[in-house]
Order: sequence, then C-alpha cells, then structure tokens
Amino acid sequence: MKATQWLSIRRIMVLSLCIVLMAVTAACSKGEGNSGNGGNAQGSNASSGGNAKDGYDKKLKISLASTIKLEKPDVLDNEFHKYWSDKFNLEWDYNYVEWDSWPEKLRLWINSGDLPDVASWNYVHGDAINYIEQGLLYKLPDDWKERWPNVAAAYKQTGLGEKLEELTGGTYVLPKPVYFENKPADPLLNQIGVIGLRKDWAKAVGFELKDAYTVGELMEYARLLKEKDPGKVGNKLVPISFDINDSLTNIIMANSAHSRVESAFYKGADGKYQWGPANEETLNALKQYQAAYKEGLLSPEFYTWKSQEASQKFSINGVAGITSIGGLASYRQDIDTRMRENLGLDSSEVVHTAIVLGDDGKYRNLEQANFWSSIIFSPNISKEKFERVMDLMDYSISQEGQLLLNMGFEGKDWKYDENKELVSLLPEGTTLEKKYPSRFEGLYLLGDDFSVVNPAIKKEFRERAVKHYQDKAKLSTEGGAMAEYDWDVQLYDSKAKNQAGFDYATEYTNLILQEGDLEANWKAWVNSKMSLVQPVLDELNSLKK
Amino acid sequence: MKPAAAVPQNSRTGGNKLGTYFRQIWKHRMTYTLLIPGLVWLVLFAYMPMGGLSLAFKDFKANLGIWGSPWVGWENFEYVFRDPAFIDAVWKTLAINVTKLIIQFPFPIMLALLLNELRMSRYKKVMQTVFTFPHFLSWIVVSGIVINVLSHDGLINSALTLFGAQPINFMGSEKLFVPMVIVTDIWKSAGWGAIIYLAAISGIDMDQYESAQIDGATRLQQLFRITLPNILPTITVMFILSVGGLMSSGFDQIFNLMNAATKNAAEVLDVYIYRITFQSATDFSFSSAVSLFRSIINMALLLIADRAAKWMGGDGLFR
Repeated sequence: MKATQWLSIRRIMVLSLCIVLMAVTAACSKGEGNSGNGGNAQGSNASSGGNAKDGYDKKLKISLASTIKLEKPDVLDNEFHKYWSDKFNLEWDYNYVEWDSWPEKLRLWINSGDLPDVASWNYVHGDAINYIEQGLLYKLPDDWKERWPNVAAAYKQTGLGEKLEELTGGTYVLPKPVYFENKPADPLLNQIGVIGLRKDWAKAVGFELKDAYTVGELMEYARLLKEKDPGKVGNKLVPISFDINDSLTNIIMANSAHSRVESAFYKGADGKYQWGPANEETLNALKQYQAAYKEGLLSPEFYTWKSQEASQKFSINGVAGITSIGGLASYRQDIDTRMRENLGLDSSEVVHTAIVLGDDGKYRNLEQANFWSSIIFSPNISKEKFERVMDLMDYSISQEGQLLLNMGFEGKDWKYDENKELVSLLPEGTTLEKKYPSRFEGLYLLGDDFSVVNPAIKKEFRERAVKHYQDKAKLSTEGGAMAEYDWDVQLYDSKAKNQAGFDYATEYTNLILQEGDLEANWKAWVNSKMSLVQPVLDELNSLKK
Repeated sequence: MKPAAAVPQNSRTGGNKLGTYFRQIWKHRMTYTLLIPGLVWLVLFAYMPMGGLSLAFKDFKANLGIWGSPWVGWENFEYVFRDPAFIDAVWKTLAINVTKLIIQFPFPIMLALLLNELRMSRYKKVMQTVFTFPHFLSWIVVSGIVINVLSHDGLINSALTLFGAQPINFMGSEKLFVPMVIVTDIWKSAGWGAIIYLAAISGIDMDQYESAQIDGATRLQQLFRITLPNILPTITVMFILSVGGLMSSGFDQIFNLMNAATKNAAEVLDVYIYRITFQSATDFSFSSAVSLFRSIINMALLLIADRAAKWMGGDGLFR
C-alpha cells in the first residue's frame, strides 16, 4: 500500500519534471565533455593507427567550419575525400555554415569560445582587431612562414596579412589569396561587374555585340526585348534579371565608384575624406536605376528575390535577357552547365559576356585587394592539430595539391598531352564537382587562381574572363574611375565606423521605390544618415593630420 | 470552522509567523514540490540572464566575460540615440503594435464566443482544430504561403489578370505592409488565442444560463449579459499582458515578410536589434542597451495598463 502511495502518478510526474529540468540545465551548462562545434577537446584525438606513411601516426579528429555544403551525408567517404583524410591521417568533424548566416554564426562561435578548430571566416577588420585583442583567435607560431613555405608565399600575395602583422604584432588571421600564380591583369580589379546577355536575342533585335556597354545601352537592349520578345516568352519575360545586389553592382557602381560599402569612405581631390553615397554621381545612378524599374525593364518584384533567383531566370528558366554573372571563368562555366541541363542550349551559342560602363563612358570598379575571406583557428586548438591543418594547406597550395583539388587524380581524371598541356579525362557532361562533390580541402588558396588555367573550364570562357580583367585594368587606368583600396580606411576601426556600415543595396532600392521625387528623397536620406556618417569622416580626417 | 479566539496568541507574533509558513508549506509539500521545476526554470532562464543586461553599461569583451568587461556608463545609450534609425524603429514598433492591439485583440474573443455558440460538439471540435492549426506553422512557412498568394505572379494577381484587372503590388507596398502583418497574424494566432477564453467560458456556472433561459433571455442576450461579463477578468489580464508587449513585435513574422521595398514600414525594434547585432560589426553592448530600453518601456506600459485597469474597477495583474 505504502509503495503504491509512494509511486503515485503525482509523485512520478514531479520526479520526472525535476529530472528533465536537471538534464536541461546540465545540457545548457558549459561542460568540458561537450565538444559541440568546438571539437577541440583533447579527448577527441582518436589514437588509432591510421595511415602513417606521411609520418602522421596519430589520427586526429579536427573540427572545421566551411560554407561548402556537403552534398550527401556520406560524401566524406568518397575516394577524393578519403585520399585527403588518409594522407593526413585525420577525421573531419565538418560544420557546414549557410552562406546567409555565415557572419552571425561565426560571430557567435568566436565570442562564445565555441569556434571549431579551423574555420573559414569572412574577414571584417573591426571584428578581427577586437578578436585579436581579446585572445579569441589562435596566434600562429613566429616561425610558421619557414615551416609552411607554400602558405607563406600565397599569404604574401594578399597584402593584408603583413599589414595586420604590423598592427597586431603577429599572425592571427590567414587572408585567403584570390590569385597566386595566375594573376590575369595588373592592376587587378574586382571580378564583379560582368554581365551576360542573350546573344541570339540580341541578333534577332539587331543589337550590336560589344565587349563593354554603358548602362543606357543595356537598357536600350532591354527595351528592344520588351518590344519584340524574340524569345517568345510572353509575360514571363524579364529583360534585365538583376536582384538588388546585382543592381548595386551593374547599375549604381557602374555610374558611381564610391557607392558601395567597400568604397563609401574615400579621400577626395582636396585630400579630405568624403562619403560616396552623397555624391551627385550616386544620385544620377539612382535615377537610372529608378528608370529601369519604372519602365518595367527589371522584374516588378526583383527586390523580393533571394540569392541565385535572378541568375536562375536566365540560365534555368530561359526568360531573361540580361543577368549578372561576375568575372570568373568558373561562373561562366556554371551558366553553361545549367543552360545545357535545363534549357538544352549550348551557352556558347546564346550567351555573350561584357563589362558595364557608366553612362559617361567611364569604367568604374573596386581595386581588388588580393584576398577574400580568411582562415582562422580556435585559440584552444592543440599544437598537433594546428600543424596537421597547416601541413594540409601547404600541400593543397603545391602544384600537386592544386592539380588534385581542381582536376582530380592524374591518369584517371586528367593527363598531360604531348605538349605538356593539361587534358581532362572526364566524360563529356561530367564535371569534377559531380564526380567528387563538396571538395572543401582547398582550404586556403581560392579556386579563382586555378580557374584561369583549368582545362575543365572551356578555353573560350577562360580566355574571355582574362580579357575582361585586362579590359577592366586598361579602362580603369585610361580615364576610368577605379575606387582604390584605401588601407587607411580599411584598417581603421572605431565604434562610429562600425555604426555607419549600411546595407547599401537595400537602402538604394528602397529609395528608388519610394513615392515622390527621387532627388528630394535622396537628399532626405543623406541628411538622415549624416549623424552617423559625419563622426566617421571627422575621425578619418583627423587620422591623417 | 475554528473561531478566531481559538487561534493561539503566539501564532500572531512575527517569530511564529515564519514557523506557521513552514508548517503550511510542509503540509502542502506535494503542491510546493510541483512548483519547484517552474521556479528553477524561472530563475535559470528568466532571472539569471538579467545579469547580462549590465552589458548595456559595459564595453563587452568576450575574453573578460560579462562581469569582467569594463564599465562605460551611458556611452552605449549615447550611440543608440544618435542613430535616427533607432528612433524610427521605436515609433514604428509602437504604431504597428497599437494597431495590432486595437484590431487584433478582439478576434480571439469573438472566435471563442462564436465557437462556444456551436451546438454540434464534433463540428465545434473540427472548427477549433482548423482555427488552431496555423499556430503550429512557423513564420517561414507562413511567409512562403503569403508570398505565393500575394506576389506579382501569385494566386490573387493571376486571378486579377485573368479578369483583365491590373495586378496589385502587395509585397512591395509600404501601405499594405502593416495590414498584411495584422491579417496574417490574426489568421495564425486567433485560434490559439481563443483557447484561453474558451477555458474561461467553460468555467462559467451553467445555472446562470438556465436561469436566463427560464427568464426568456435570447442567445444574444445570454452572450452579452452572462458570457462576456464572466470572462471580463480574463480579457483584462490578457489585455494588460498585450500592452506589456507593445515594444516587442514578432521578429520572425516581420523579418520574413519584409524586403527592400517595405524596409521603411517594417524595421521595428526587433529587426533593428537583429541588424545591429548580427549584420553590422559585433557590438553586444550596443544591442543590450537597445534591448534594455525596450524592456523598461514594456515594463512601464505593463504597470500603467495594470493601474488603469484597477482604476476602471477591473482586476489588475498584480493584486
């Protein structure tokens, strides 16, 4: 009887609730045993024999955060990934980070001490200085450049690495080089600002094919498409398929070099810092942007599009006349693949690429600092894990590593021909990405470098990409208006500067969609931002005194 | 019942009051044990995190932690009030939430009253399930549905075009944004909100209805003279709680429905906090300052609503 009383439902419920609560509390506390994303507990070092042929006797489990999505859960078991894991005797604890949540996720991990052993991080200077000051990033050993010479050689090309060393007294961040041995032009301009247009439709409406178009010329082409509908796509036609970011690049920046967040604060002719969005050039660009929308050349709801949606209208739905592609040959190859698969079209026959000029005929773009994003390490990473990752990165930059990463296995996926030229052995229609999906092991050097010589990308696309780079370099130095990469601004960090970082694509789009007079709205907008902008201008100007 | 005179004198003294409390607690120990998980939860997840609000007055350094970070006084608030977007966000939040309160608040009550009037219990259950179901959909799903229905080539505009009418720009209109927020919120939450009123209705003494029927009262008269007055205390409490949340708007809903065109109508305080915390450079102190400001205003509104309710002769939240 007593036992029955003791085990009454009420008591059992109370007990269960208490146990659940204790379990929740324990799970929320920062336990040593919870490797979480950090995965840096020494206990995770699996000590099985593994492949010791390269001198790695101890198998290490290394956590990695990257924006490359693993296509399937078992993708790490494929031949390609196994080769790397076996060669360096490691097991990945892979953390895929969604592109859209990349900055916030890394911020949370770094600030909470949960950063995986190694992570790809979209470099933000203000944050970097904060993190370094607070000891939230691993400091590389002083002799790392001698120990990993390939990484050091690529690192030297970024410029940023050494500038940061001067500021912080050591190496904490490895900026990723865009180009290393295959730099396509000098000066190097940002790859953005290359559009693709339907060549077959242009011929049908009598529009001339050129290497560079003004925004006005592109709008003229779009008007012709709207009028004649050469593709017979009816009301689905999107003459210019840009989302808000594409519009910022190909309409606004083409007319105003200092309209973007990267170049908004710049030194004017009088030596004083100015704010680009308040320039007349930006206003003129906005007028053209608004005209494109009001005339129905842009989609009526282009501002609701998520990333890739604009490109899909062109390469998957086949209903767009112009799209923003970007300057890398690999991007062009992607368009080719998608058009072949979805529309049954050979893109060489139907797509023409070109760069975009302002309506005054000047070329505008950003000078390319030779880095994009970076590699950082957890401050708690063990020495042997750090060294293993560095060994892997050093190998990945070597010629052998680059060929493996970008071409696959020699003799199986590629070979040298009699002229010592690289020849892909992949069957027609097969790409390396399809055969070995999610190749994230190229941790350091970006794929842009190899894409210049990669035979897996059609030669005509590679040559065209290089030509665009060279045209950009020529036009920007011959009367163009390149926004120079100002190290003083880029490496300056303050609370005021952080507060004055705006999402310009959204801001400009909102301005052109507002009712009333655009110029009056723009002036009001500029005035509304000055309380945040002026302190930054004052700080930058006093910095130079 | 024991007469007051029979209560021992010493039980009225302060020293023994505590003993009496403990005896009472021991007597009802099972009930108090049931309270423990809730109390622990409240302390762990509601009161302990409040310590983090001190960040609003600090320059947060992750390596020093919340307690070790240096104090900076009102500096973060100076930066907050320097940003015109913050002031805009405050007014927008209030405007949207006051409109929501006026239009949306009565819907769950009306729904509960209507459901209560249904006589076929199976049909009543079906209807209640139909109205409650949207609550379980996430705002990401709901916004996907809304976009599919209201976009330029969505259901409504396709129908309009079919009949020769011009399509309406629902998704890009600042004027239509707030109505869209309210309508979707009503659709999603009215059924769920009605549950609490249905529970209150079920607690009404049935004798009142029987007496009213004998006296010849119509269904409508019963509704206004019996049902509504009986659930008025619940309505008052729910209203006070709603007023206490006037500075917080559904982030998930607004974030998923807004775009560049509706930014000016949609950047409420929650969206502003998200933007400054995660989209600009990290500054947890700054966003804590904004959050603290919001919480203080919410608390003040809650207390004012409570006082107002008592002043008007109703029941307040705090007795």
